[in-house]
Amino acid sequence: MSNVTVKIPTPLRPITGGQSEVKIEGATVGEILRKMDAQFKGFAERVLDDGRNVKRFINVFVNEDNIRDKKELETEVKNGDTISILPSIAGGTVGAVYDRPGRS
Amino acid sequence: MIKISASLLRQIYDHTEASYPNECCGLMIGTTDNEKNHIVHTFRTCKNLNQERARDRYDMDPLDMLRVEREFEKSPWDIIGIYHSHPDHPSRPSQTDTDRAWPDYSYVIISVQKGTATSAQSWVLNEGERKFHEEPLLTEGDSR
Repeated sequence: MSNVTVKIPTPLRPITGGQSEVKIEGATVGEILRKMDAQFKGFAERVLDDGRNVKRFINVFVNEDNIRDKKELETEVKNGDTISILPSIAGGTVGAVYDRPGRS
Repeated sequence: MIKISASLLRQIYDHTEASYPNECCGLMIGTTDNEKNHIVHTFRTCKNLNQERARDRYDMDPLDMLRVEREFEKSPWDIIGIYHSHPDHPSRPSQTDTDRAWPDYSYVIISVQKGTATSAQSWVLNEGERKFHEEPLLTEGDSR
């Protein structure tokens, strides 16, 4: 078991009660994310597709390494590692869809 | 509401104009007050990884976002929003923008017409509706 720090991005902080980082123990990224879900209800639903994969529009890094370039959720962690969960940011120009302020 | 100084907004415009006719993107860093207003203190340009459709798409390099997270992790500032350009299109969100948006960030879109930044609007996602709503964008000296 390793002690790691999990960094939480702004859009997921409502789930963690506003915490921007959480200290937690585990051997793999998958184990740590499941423990996060046990501690913070709804966490896995936002981060994992089916418990086996990270959602397509989420990036998870262990220190500087994207786990998609490693062993995905089976990526092992060691003491002192930092796991960063980052939203994938993308968009483009085509097809305007918007509401003005005050509309609901 | 999002507040940004005129000089910072000008620097963001410079990035969008230098990137024209391609889309560009970056992260806005700052603070959030008790009323959920965002105050921009600085920004960082990020790489658009979408080479094939750079004229109408952007995919922010996740490593850039990681670097920004790391740079400001010990500071009271945080990533509060994303800016990107719409070359020769209005500063309104597209369906693609909406599909890929996250709540709680301000999305500032800059319209760049023939190489010149002409307008900026800021948008926030209503996650329940999966729709963007415009929020006031105040620049320094703006009396609205």
